Amino acid sequence: MDSLFTAAVAGLSAGGAYAILGVCAIFTYRLVAVVNFTGAAIGAAGTFAMVALFELGMPLLLAVLFGVAAGALAGLAIGLVMTTWFAGSNASTKAAVTAALLVGIIAVGLRLTGGQHPHYFPEIIPGSAFRLAGVEVTWAAVTTLVLSVAFTLLTEQFLARTRTGLQLRALSQRPMAAELIGIRVRLLALGVWAVTGGVTAFALMIIAPLRSPDFASLSLLVVPALAAALIGAFSSFRAALIGGVMIGLLEGSVSAIGPVSQYRGAVPFLVILAVLLWSQRGARWDEAR
Amino acid sequence: MKHASFRAAATTALSLAVLGALIFFLLPKYWVFLITAVFIVGIALQSLGLVTGRTGMISLCQMSFAGVGAWVTGYLNLIGAPGGLAVWMLIGGLAAVPVGIAIGLPALRLRGINLAIVTLGFAAAFDTVLATITFPGQTTFTQVVRPAAFDSDKGYFLFVLLTYGVIAVVLEFVSRSRLGAAWLAVRHSERAAAANGISIPRAKLSAFAISAFISGISGGLLAGYLGTLVSENFSMMQSLALFAVATMAGAHFALGAIAGGMMIVLFPELLRRLNLPQDVGNVLFALGAVQALSTGETIAETWMRLARKLRPKRVVEAATAAGSLPEKTSHPAGIALEVRDLTVRYGTVTALDKVNLKVPAGTVVGLVGPNGAGKSTLVDAIAGFLYRYDGSILLNGKALEGVSATSRSKLGIRRTWQTTRIAPELRVGEYIRLAAGPINESALESLLAWFGCPGPETPISTVDVGTRRLLDVAGAVASRAPVILLDEPAAGVSYDEALKLGERIAAIPETFGSAVLLIEHDMDLVRRACTAITVFDFGRVIAAGAPAAVLDMPVVQKAYMGVEFEEAAE
Repeated sequence: MDSLFTAAVAGLSAGGAYAILGVCAIFTYRLVAVVNFTGAAIGAAGTFAMVALFELGMPLLLAVLFGVAAGALAGLAIGLVMTTWFAGSNASTKAAVTAALLVGIIAVGLRLTGGQHPHYFPEIIPGSAFRLAGVEVTWAAVTTLVLSVAFTLLTEQFLARTRTGLQLRALSQRPMAAELIGIRVRLLALGVWAVTGGVTAFALMIIAPLRSPDFASLSLLVVPALAAALIGAFSSFRAALIGGVMIGLLEGSVSAIGPVSQYRGAVPFLVILAVLLWSQRGARWDEAR
Repeated sequence: MKHASFRAAATTALSLAVLGALIFFLLPKYWVFLITAVFIVGIALQSLGLVTGRTGMISLCQMSFAGVGAWVTGYLNLIGAPGGLAVWMLIGGLAAVPVGIAIGLPALRLRGINLAIVTLGFAAAFDTVLATITFPGQTTFTQVVRPAAFDSDKGYFLFVLLTYGVIAVVLEFVSRSRLGAAWLAVRHSERAAAANGISIPRAKLSAFAISAFISGISGGLLAGYLGTLVSENFSMMQSLALFAVATMAGAHFALGAIAGGMMIVLFPELLRRLNLPQDVGNVLFALGAVQALSTGETIAETWMRLARKLRPKRVVEAATAAGSLPEKTSHPAGIALEVRDLTVRYGTVTALDKVNLKVPAGTVVGLVGPNGAGKSTLVDAIAGFLYRYDGSILLNGKALEGVSATSRSKLGIRRTWQTTRIAPELRVGEYIRLAAGPINESALESLLAWFGCPGPETPISTVDVGTRRLLDVAGAVASRAPVILLDEPAAGVSYDEALKLGERIAAIPETFGSAVLLIEHDMDLVRRACTAITVFDFGRVIAAGAPAAVLDMPVVQKAYMGVEFEEAAE
């Protein structure tokens, strides 16, 4: 029991990161109507930019800043593709585009980072914060959790209260109508892509040292991210936040149970299955079908 | 159509035989070995094309299904199961079916994107599982035994080609059957498919099951090809790359599947000879897929379009009546459709307020009213597309509450849509068969001729919108349903055509036996076609009766024209 608790807590920092990624996925879906399969790959680009700069001798803080900027740029690049050629496409086509782009990004990423070649991932936030019932809780866990909560609340408030937030909501409902009343649709959409890129990059930097740190594995964190977004039904940031953390805890717990520990990678899939089966109950005919 | 199926299947089989012979006799052993992989990948691509290209659901775990097939094949090889590779790979394919269904089930009633997420999740999970359990015989380097007759590399090429040919020919038949048409219809519009009596879950699940089966077979073939397998052969990246190539090449066409297979197998070979890194291939596949998605045209479609340009242009032929129309269907007399106290609310808005309406058998009843009066909501409610309503709807006296849209359609309520929703990839005959179910060739021809539609082999994509509206009506009529709901069939049709359409609609009850509820704004058409009219305004029935009398009523004219007749009333 004790070891299970320890393991669950160990999954906390991953859970925080999943929550951030999940919130970013919903953010992208709600505002620019794209189910983004490249989300984590964009973050991985930023993370590896940070590692490369750090390996070249740049101070950690500066490298992190440049890494976040690189993540934002990578997001912007995907955003450019989406807004230039697929602004009027349906959701399914957009999702297919990001799934196809994921293949290319991972290929380029693996090439530039030397495939499985090991890199040194600095712990951005090292050390233990406090002990909870005899279990070390790391600063990384605390930071990702605080960050995910802060990001969720900030996003909600931003969308609900600011003028830009209002425009973004208009953009998400009817891009064409938003454009007709003079909202700079494309600029806003690109902004969304850049912001999610930067945030994802930072989230991945924190948990990268805990992962098998190659470009492909980091990119595939999009699976737990989308699982978290599904828990939030691609609309509720808070539900995605809680969902992301739960997936992290669940993964941690599973890895402590001997016989199934190797299968912890299957946890997000099982969560997706469960959530979809649950959400089908209320499925009905809607306009999109 | 049967002719066309056989011709297409024969063309496929013959061209494969010629291609196979050329490769087998002319190319050196190394190339034959390499091209064997092209056909194995081609099978996997066809399986993906079935789900993604045909049915419109994104599947990102196709290589995982292949992995299941390969694993089972490897296991049967290890325990020395009887039957050899041909039997093993069939069992492997069958083993992949329940997996495919289990993954397809949760996304059945949701939109396609959810399937993309669950399949990506499965691919990731399968990676971890496969890395842990490893392939049977992987650690002992046990080779999967090829069939004795096809043991050499050249022999195995023939075995793979044969399997590819069988699958391609069967798929050719299936894709031209009603099931194949149902897949395209589901991809184009699920609601329209359900309105034609297609069970959406069954259509999606069958696509997924068949696709998993074919993919599993490709895995079994790969096991025989490579002898020993590692989990990387079926990793998530392979599935993603397969998806990109399928999207780029158009894997639901026989041509696209081969072209895609060549790209996946021969491109790395080319890059290797040019001393370029092989992962460049994946980047190009991604770019190609994005390009195909942005233009909406795959490589296979581009080639076929260019090839058509070379051929002499075919004129759209009108259908010629081969025989006379079959006897009209006899439905029970009395009230065919009755709506009792129907109330529909959207939030606080009451769209329909205690509406009563009767459509007697053998008549055409018109439903008119200004925009927003609730006419289309009524059609949605009758056809079963509303989640909830109060009141009741009866077909031949039997209440329909709790019956799904698909079942209502099968029971005998057919509807058309304000905008045509026929999948453009279909042919005229395929659409009518989809709507009508079993219908013989001469009945089909004469029905099309009666409506003045083009011949059954005409692709829908070459037909103009006005004619497609006619096909909507023809499809509903061909089903011989007791009740047909026509939602503005003349919208987008020229005046002359609308009058002709009116005459046709008026003749539907005595020619085919169906009762019609006609929603229309074109009053000339309504006068011509209807025996009775009901008028709606703001969700209420404001008048009902014989056409001429009702249309002259002041309250009706006010609702339509906004003209006040107060002075006249005084």
